[in-house]
Amino acid sequence: MLNAHPDLTSSVLIGLGWYYLLLFLMNFVWTIRSYREDGEYANGLPRATGWATYSSILMMMSAYHFTYPPEGFLISLPEAFKAPFDRYFSNPVLYFFLTIVGLWALIALREWWTKPKVSFVLLNASLLFMGLSLTDFDFRQIVGKPDNVPIVAMLFILAFCTWISFRRAVDNDRRIAEGRPLFEQEDNEKVLVWPDLVYTELICMVVLTAVLIFWGIALKAPLEEPGSSVKTPNPSKAPWYFLGLQEMLVYFDPWLAGVVLPSIILGGLMAVPYIDFNKLGNGYYTFKQRSFAITTFLFGFLPLWVALIVLGTFLRGPNWNFFGIYEYWDVHKVEAANNINLSEFFWNGLGKGLPKGSGLNTILLREAPGILLILGYFMVLPPILGISVLRTYFVRMGVLRFLVFSNLILWMAILPIKMLLRWAFSLKYIVGIPEWFFNI
Amino acid sequence: MTDPTPSTNDILSKIRAAKSAASTEAAPVASVPGSAPALGAKPAAAEAPAATSAPKSTADILAAARAKASAAPAAAPPVATPPAGTAGIMAAVKKQGAVAAPAATPGKPADIMAAIRAKGGVAAAAATAAPAAVAPVVADKATKPLAAVAGLSPAEMIRAARTAGTGEAVTPKVVLPSKPLPGKTAVGKAVADVPRRSVLSDLLAVVFAPVVVAWASFLGALGAAGLGLARFMMPNVLVEPPTKFKIGPTTDYAPGTVSTKWQAQFNIWVVNSEVDGVRAIYALSTVCTHLGCTPNWLEGEQKFKCPCHGSGFYKSGINFEGPAPRPLERVGLRLSEDGMLEVDKSVKFQRELGQWTNSSSFVGVG
Repeated sequence: MLNAHPDLTSSVLIGLGWYYLLLFLMNFVWTIRSYREDGEYANGLPRATGWATYSSILMMMSAYHFTYPPEGFLISLPEAFKAPFDRYFSNPVLYFFLTIVGLWALIALREWWTKPKVSFVLLNASLLFMGLSLTDFDFRQIVGKPDNVPIVAMLFILAFCTWISFRRAVDNDRRIAEGRPLFEQEDNEKVLVWPDLVYTELICMVVLTAVLIFWGIALKAPLEEPGSSVKTPNPSKAPWYFLGLQEMLVYFDPWLAGVVLPSIILGGLMAVPYIDFNKLGNGYYTFKQRSFAITTFLFGFLPLWVALIVLGTFLRGPNWNFFGIYEYWDVHKVEAANNINLSEFFWNGLGKGLPKGSGLNTILLREAPGILLILGYFMVLPPILGISVLRTYFVRMGVLRFLVFSNLILWMAILPIKMLLRWAFSLKYIVGIPEWFFNI
Repeated sequence: MTDPTPSTNDILSKIRAAKSAASTEAAPVASVPGSAPALGAKPAAAEAPAATSAPKSTADILAAARAKASAAPAAAPPVATPPAGTAGIMAAVKKQGAVAAPAATPGKPADIMAAIRAKGGVAAAAATAAPAAVAPVVADKATKPLAAVAGLSPAEMIRAARTAGTGEAVTPKVVLPSKPLPGKTAVGKAVADVPRRSVLSDLLAVVFAPVVVAWASFLGALGAAGLGLARFMMPNVLVEPPTKFKIGPTTDYAPGTVSTKWQAQFNIWVVNSEVDGVRAIYALSTVCTHLGCTPNWLEGEQKFKCPCHGSGFYKSGINFEGPAPRPLERVGLRLSEDGMLEVDKSVKFQRELGQWTNSSSFVGVG
């Protein structure tokens, strides 16, 4: 029987063979490093033995992929794993919750996960997970799409950048605690622009050009049929860097998610130097001295931007439904998405029904709960925060700066709040006045 | 402070610091009789040395000149002149190109005044010639009256100094209320007589005529281009589908169905369904009310579903899921005289505005 969606084909196996070969080489180098540096166990066995074993398993896997035919191939993810994974993890609430937990772990466990050995194990785990997942047809369709390859690469590059900054920060925090000089002060070996920097730049330029040429040849640009105003591709996705924005558009009115929120993001980032009163952490990596600033930034960047890009790229399928990573993109997947405005919740909850009519007063009365809620959120909450949780900030900043600061924080918080309300209560709009194109 | 070339901000901050210091300690001095005009000006006189104690850049010199311009009237009464202020004045006087001050001891105001008066004679001779640079002019205005009125009482000198801004021949009797303004150059009026003015105007005409011609032609060309653009917006031929067209008899659209056959050509769906208890045929625009994508009609789910952000609409066009804020729009539909349905896309009917009850938005059947 011909399978239209084969999980394994000979070309996939050849590709995975190369993948595992690269993994083997990577771990082989690591084994040599471990042999030189890690020393021995008590019984005289080198500590690198474990890595050597792992590397040899990878080499055997590579050879197995190169030589064995697809029929009866053993190494692949079993359905018993994929089906529950899809069922429980193809869920935006859980996904968002996990990103928040991940952010917490990133910060709380920073001393642990920035250790070279731990981070190398984590890298291996993620690469192995990806290699095994690539044996699934649907996963391959998503991850292997030429559009999405750079996003996969971006995830690893982003992880590396986060890792290096946290590693330096942890190191410096330890130095500060022990009273030693900072890494940047101790290791301030300055080099010349010419030739050191210019040579480095030249090499980077050549390597980058070579990578781009290779990439352009290996992965064809994903051209589609000619554009038509009456036929929208399904799913229709924004450029990858705007997928976070597109995800925001699911929860907000276009003018809010497309105009107001991006403007606030840009304006808020510009305002940061004027809001920030912490003079520490200038010119060196640190976490402890700037914990609030770094945590706030990472919250806005990782769960609210990068994670939404990943969500939009890998987890949103036809009709913008949510799909698991091993799930077939079924155009007819039915997902309950009935949404209700806050005004309907309120007036129906009172048992009165919505005030009918399109007069000014009727509309304002109808949306009064939402309007009051929004006004309270942006006008009552800042003073309350100022005298309670953020009191120290209020004292150091003064009224005007604190108001700008607290409103920016509240604007940032409104996105996850609205998402959670949508997921938990199917809330559509807090204030919904379609008559005036005004919906929040 | 130790920067060899201080920036404008440095100078300003120095001036502010000097000003606050001077105003606090100058308070008792200002109450000396005969020094009333110095009240406002004295802080400026005191600040001059702060900025010019080591004049190294043009900015310094300008700052000194400006400070002195306002300080000069105050400097005239010897009592009200702090030694530091006179040093600044002396420095500025030197810069101005006048004779070097003979008095080298700033500690004695009387000496300085004498020196200025003596120098004034020389400066007065030079004052009839128009100074070339603008920067000295400011200082020049302040010292010129001093030159002309050498030997007068301090009060008269102050009055004379005030009139210097007008640039007229200075006599002690001429008292004009206007204060000398730094930006106002007295040179042109002071030296110009009738024949020179006509030469000047001729020169101006020669210089500016091409500029006027160039701007006029530029604006003309711009206007012509604008007209051309406006014309471009109204093409001779419009290759757009007509807004009014016929889509066949009502029997083409079976009850309870959604026809997508006009979607590609005219961007409409024709629906025969029951809305608000009325069985009718109506035409829905295929533009999603969220961001304008084209939703798909899903027969199995009996709904329109937008692929961009997941908005969903019932067969009636009413939104029920996803972010779309309002129902799909209806376009005009009527039964024409020959029994065919005629769509008029030039009109829209929005449910949230209560327009679906309009009889032009549907054709009743059965």
